[in-house]
Amino acid sequence: MGRFKNKNRKPFVKQIVKKPPTVDHVTGDKIPKSFVFSRGKLPGPLRQLQMDLRKLMLPYTALKLKETKRNNLRDFVKLASDMMVTHFLILSKTDSAAYLRVARMKNGPTLTFKIHEYSLAADIAQSQLRPRCPAEIFKTPPLIVLSGFGTGEQHLKVATLIFQNIFPAIDINTVKLSSCQRIVLLNYDKETKLIDFRHYSIRLQPVGVSRRIRKFVQNHQVPDLRSLQDVSDFVTKAGYGSESEADDEAATVNLSSDIGRVNRASTKSAVKLQEIGPRMTLQLVKIEQGLCTGDVIFSEYGNVTKKSENEEEDEQESDEEMDEQENEDEEEQEIEEELED
Amino acid sequence: MLQLKLCNCVKINAQLHPHCRIKIRGLNIMAEELQLVSEAGKMFRKRKMEHKKKGGKGKKKFKGVPFNEKRAKIDNKMKKLFEKRARDYNSDTEDDAEPAPVSRAKPTSYDKQKPKSYGKEKPKSYGKEKRTSYRKEEDDFEEEWVDDEGEDGNEELEVSEDEDGEIQPGITKFIDGCKAFRLAFKKLLKKSASDDILGPVLSAHKKLVAEKLAEEDVERKDKGEAKKEKHLIREKGHAKPANFLNADEKSLIAVATKGVVKLFNAVNKAQHAQKGLNPSRAKDEKAIKKRRREVFFSELGKTPSQTAVSKAGASNSPKDEGPSWAPLRDNYMLTNPKLKDWDKNTDTVADDVRMSADSDSSDDE
Repeated sequence: MGRFKNKNRKPFVKQIVKKPPTVDHVTGDKIPKSFVFSRGKLPGPLRQLQMDLRKLMLPYTALKLKETKRNNLRDFVKLASDMMVTHFLILSKTDSAAYLRVARMKNGPTLTFKIHEYSLAADIAQSQLRPRCPAEIFKTPPLIVLSGFGTGEQHLKVATLIFQNIFPAIDINTVKLSSCQRIVLLNYDKETKLIDFRHYSIRLQPVGVSRRIRKFVQNHQVPDLRSLQDVSDFVTKAGYGSESEADDEAATVNLSSDIGRVNRASTKSAVKLQEIGPRMTLQLVKIEQGLCTGDVIFSEYGNVTKKSENEEEDEQESDEEMDEQENEDEEEQEIEEELED
Repeated sequence: MLQLKLCNCVKINAQLHPHCRIKIRGLNIMAEELQLVSEAGKMFRKRKMEHKKKGGKGKKKFKGVPFNEKRAKIDNKMKKLFEKRARDYNSDTEDDAEPAPVSRAKPTSYDKQKPKSYGKEKPKSYGKEKRTSYRKEEDDFEEEWVDDEGEDGNEELEVSEDEDGEIQPGITKFIDGCKAFRLAFKKLLKKSASDDILGPVLSAHKKLVAEKLAEEDVERKDKGEAKKEKHLIREKGHAKPANFLNADEKSLIAVATKGVVKLFNAVNKAQHAQKGLNPSRAKDEKAIKKRRREVFFSELGKTPSQTAVSKAGASNSPKDEGPSWAPLRDNYMLTNPKLKDWDKNTDTVADDVRMSADSDSSDDE
């Protein structure tokens, strides 16, 4: 019966999977990793936003994280602790607005943002004449710039700390400039208390070089010289757009090393940012101590904080909030907390 | 031609039942059946006659015609059945005491009485029917009759005359009725169907259908509105960006650019010191470490006002004297005791000067 062996059968060999590094090999830092997922059912555009956020969090995130209706937060926590994930970005939706929660793994804190407005990466690419989004820029983590967070308020400090640690820290002694391809900007507006969330790609261009020459160096193509009298004209004649390049002195840098063929360390380079989605307008609503649980350290609507605001407005809004929460079955815990507040 | 035939067929039926449309159809079929039964006998003779007249030509002419092909042979049993049915039907509908028996005894007599106009076409079709019918099976012949009611209109004429029993007065009667009905029928035919969506429907039903349609319309509208609402909820907060850069966006880009420039300059400054030294080589490492330590201590000595330039330039840091680096300050993390444990790894950064891209902005509090 089983006497004759199947010759085609291959012996079982355990696949050696190269694990992604949990520690930066140069600096020895722990690399923060993140999960982006949703609680409750999201409508189409928000699901797209979730995908965009995952792309933004690349490379140390689960791009293809599958979630089902039955997964609860504990599942994610368990998975995260196995995979050394440090941050959660949780999207949820109520009838009034969508919410983004940014949490640190294991034991908090959790920041809850109300998403007032958002645009997807696709929308932004559509609005641009020449959208630029090469795949390589997602191979390195983005820089993060927080601006306007230094107002001294406690909740903003917490937010600052969370966001600083959400991406791997940059050691300026060892960092390669070629790995700085993207930047995430969080701009806090004091008056409106809204945070603008933007995501840009960084591009460097040599200053003082005409567009023609730059293109010539970049593209390796034989230039079209038929309209010129002499070869020297190609270099000396100013091409289109050469004037506009020199306008911003502040945006020029000296590079410590060459980046690509065009940007030499010896020459000055201009920093050009181009937006790649997603774009969000956030409002910090609540900070909880634990991972989606625990004491409420800060609440925009509640009376936890010592801030003096228009009481009526607050009450109205908190009522609204409560209504929203009731609609949502996913966040029952939070309802209780809200009520307690 | 068709119209004529139609007229004929209805004519007969009208004689029997001028008041009921549905019955007309039923009767029509019935009459047809009878006709065929009665014809079974006479066909043969007729074909012979035709042969004499036209010979092979007539035959050929009809070979290609598809309809009537399925005429079936009728056996005696079925004949009887149909006769009985016809009798029953007549007795039901007409109030005559004695239902007209189908007389098949004298086929020759009404052959002669037939109006001339029909005479020309009739015989051909009969002959043809006869020929083809014998080839077919018996089970589908009943259906055939139902289908062919239009063409067989002429034949029924004969039957109807038959049914009356008395032929001579029947003709005059028939013509009278025929005229009246023809007029009525012509009128009907002239009437074109109204452009109503409902089409020609009985008036009582019309109301119902209209109501139903209106209801559907309302329903659809409601559904559409619900859908729209749902879509609005789905798309809530989703904003399509403008095609141009407005002032806010420009300022944001400027802020981000400032940050990048700052970082690049810092990197340039830091890495300029260690130029020519490879950090992965053991020999150079010591030198690099030494230099870094120098830089680190020099940084610590400075006050925040000297170093801190907020990236955004938005916030002016409070001027408390103390080291620029946050963990070295007295009040670091003490203001909020709740933040004690989640923050552990941030103070492990102590070994060397590490600067994340954002560290400037946080340092200047």
